[in-house]
Amino acid sequence: MTTETTKMTARSVQVFYGDNHAIKDVDVDILDNTVTAFIGPSGCGKSTFLRCLNRMNDTIDICRVQGEILMQGENIYDPRVDPVQLRAKVGMVFQKPNPFPKSIYDNVAYGPKIHGLTRSKAELDEVVEKSLRRAALWAEVKDRLHAPGTGLSGGQQQRLCIARAIATNPEVLLMDEPCSALDPIATAQVEELIDELRTQFAVVIVTHSMQQAARVSQRTAFFHLGNLVEYGETGQIFTTPRDPRTESYITGRIG
Amino acid sequence: MKKDTHITTAFDRDLEAIETHIMRMAGLVEEAILNAATALETRDEALASAVRAGDKAIDALEEQINMDAARLIALRSPTAADLRTVLTAMKIAGALERCGDYAKNLAKRSNVLAQMPAVAGSAGSIRRMAKAVQLQLKNVLDAYARRDVVLAEQVRQDDHDVDQMYNALFREFITHMMEDPRNISACMHLHFIAKNIERMGDHATGIAEQVIYLVTGSLPAEARPKADNTALMTGTER
Repeated sequence: MTTETTKMTARSVQVFYGDNHAIKDVDVDILDNTVTAFIGPSGCGKSTFLRCLNRMNDTIDICRVQGEILMQGENIYDPRVDPVQLRAKVGMVFQKPNPFPKSIYDNVAYGPKIHGLTRSKAELDEVVEKSLRRAALWAEVKDRLHAPGTGLSGGQQQRLCIARAIATNPEVLLMDEPCSALDPIATAQVEELIDELRTQFAVVIVTHSMQQAARVSQRTAFFHLGNLVEYGETGQIFTTPRDPRTESYITGRIG
Repeated sequence: MKKDTHITTAFDRDLEAIETHIMRMAGLVEEAILNAATALETRDEALASAVRAGDKAIDALEEQINMDAARLIALRSPTAADLRTVLTAMKIAGALERCGDYAKNLAKRSNVLAQMPAVAGSAGSIRRMAKAVQLQLKNVLDAYARRDVVLAEQVRQDDHDVDQMYNALFREFITHMMEDPRNISACMHLHFIAKNIERMGDHATGIAEQVIYLVTGSLPAEARPKADNTALMTGTER
């Protein structure tokens, strides 16, 4: 299932790190129920742009963001928007699994608790179970929910982080190279999970693996030197790219 | 910005190896067509036998190309123009293999025809048609090697001429058969030969379309002119 409903709209986005112009005038529409992959060589700006989508760049002092990023008509950079609330709606999963040094249960319960999303223990239990099920981890951890999250395997930890990110019931899920620290089997499980997740969320994934982008996404955006070079349907990008820079990159001719 | 070579040079070597095999295969097929037609005209049974034996090498090259292509897909996950290079190589090899089979069939029939009285003028007409098709193949393989869409399109259009040569031969054979029924056996063989050469022309056209797809990413949209109208002939038109 893919829809053409736009979840987020970026217009004329510029990002500066001090004097370094890292993102140059990027326009992009992120579609709902769609996996959008950002690809490009290291330093092209794909992670920087991803981090604009939930204002993670706010934590970097020298970083300035211009232009607008709309989510359901509202500019997420509007001063009235609380970045903490925004990040509950736009969840994020990082490259290395980073569970809190807490139990599996508490890792998932943390977000709903601080955002006050549940009113009772029973309700919280339900959210934890539902999130772990959606993250395809429930069967493996249901008998040891109070064991430390850090005791799980790498692939399980990453799925725990996904469960944690979706526990606040976000609308968009950002993933910054979520499989680069995982083995091929765990990678396949996470990719399968990503395909499940898009039935409920808009998913945006940054990946260094073009094959992964080809496997999991329906839309692909190619970034190069801070520019969005080409954005289109994934099959089109990988078979008949329109821009010669895209072709050079995906066929392994520029690094 | 866009470089012609891959960062992984072995990738380039693999792609080049496939193209080299295609060009060798095409060389053998062109030679087989010309030799088979010469054998027919000169009633040279030794040459015809050599053509029949030579088809094995053509088949082996096709198999090699298919294996190399499968290996390249498995190991290198080609995309975009690289993917099209592999896909078109498999199709072109398939078309060339069919042309090789037709040349072999021509050689086989030429040995049979050598036992019969000649049908006046026919062997010369067949040789001219074979020469025209061999030239079509040569041009289309040049277009392939140079990624030349204009030349590929020219080959597509020129198939018209081959079709017309076939039409003329079709009429000629019907005339010979009606004039003297003793010509029927030979003319039936000659007609299959002419039809097979016409089919080789169609394969050259198919290869031209693959070249266009390889370069542009899409097959040519507009239909090419077709002049083979023998399916509508009754044999009574004059």
